[in-house]
Amino acid sequence: MDFQLSLDSESVGSAYPDQPLAATADDSVGDVLQLLRAQRTGAALICDGAKLVGILTERDALKLMAAGADFSRPVRDVMSGNPATLPANATVGEAIRVMSQGGYRHLPVVDDDGRPAGVVAVHGIVRYLVDDFPETVYNLPPDPKAAPREREGA
Amino acid sequence: MTGTVVCPFCEAENIEGADECEACGEALTDLSVRIPTTSVEADLLRDRIERLWPKSPSTVTLDTPVGDVLKKMVDAKIGCVMVVDKGKLVGIFSERDALMKLNTDAPKFLKRPISQFMTPDPVTLETSDKIAFALHKMNVGGYRHIPILFEGKLVGVISIRDILGYLTERIAAAARRQG
Repeated sequence: MDFQLSLDSESVGSAYPDQPLAATADDSVGDVLQLLRAQRTGAALICDGAKLVGILTERDALKLMAAGADFSRPVRDVMSGNPATLPANATVGEAIRVMSQGGYRHLPVVDDDGRPAGVVAVHGIVRYLVDDFPETVYNLPPDPKAAPREREGA
Repeated sequence: MTGTVVCPFCEAENIEGADECEACGEALTDLSVRIPTTSVEADLLRDRIERLWPKSPSTVTLDTPVGDVLKKMVDAKIGCVMVVDKGKLVGIFSERDALMKLNTDAPKFLKRPISQFMTPDPVTLETSDKIAFALHKMNVGGYRHIPILFEGKLVGVISIRDILGYLTERIAAAARRQG
């Protein structure tokens, strides 16, 4: 199995993208924060009509809380505009490169018309990588100390 | 070659069914059933968490006000802080905790102690544990940060980004070896 080959050929759709969580630019900051909580999601995609115009992540939420921001303002005032995105035909390798270069944890995937189709997150990429060696990761005892030093009953 | 099993920790060959590796003394009982099939897999079972150079943890105490904790996380550009009591790790507070527990009520809670909102008794690993365990915890438990201890004392924290960086580096190294 050639990993590098699969990273550069496998579509980003294999990296367990989340369903896009969309809000409109006129929604209040508070509404979007509560939406993030209700969906247990780290990023909301802010749209104008069907087009993606910004992103609000839980990092942004933390900054707003720390600054005592006014949650009744429209989210367009505080979102990150023109977020980095990936085209739907991007590869997993490209997603990793864009994420590590930009320091992003969430990358919206958009179709040809700029409409969000999903969000790729670090967790999904790690899960995709682990799929190639599931026994090594999933078959571990929950506690590293739990591996028996001796064969039982022998 | 039949009748031998390669130790995934030091790559020494052992007789099949051996309980411990002849060379390094690691337990083989839970591993001898199968041999890693790729070099990345072998890396994961050999390399220890110390190889990820865990970052020094940012710590607060049980009575630190929520507002101070949030400022510290923003200023230090970090996603979580460790809550310590008399030098011992007792909790962790992350961006996710802020989103789930404070959210739009944050202004009401800024003066409350962080102990009311932290996640108590977080999962930890030792610097000497294999990276595979960190991957297991993060992937199965859904954690983004894991506090790292050395002989029971908090010395650092690793994030899922560290793991992603490690995996991609090992995958690239494996590709170079294949030519």
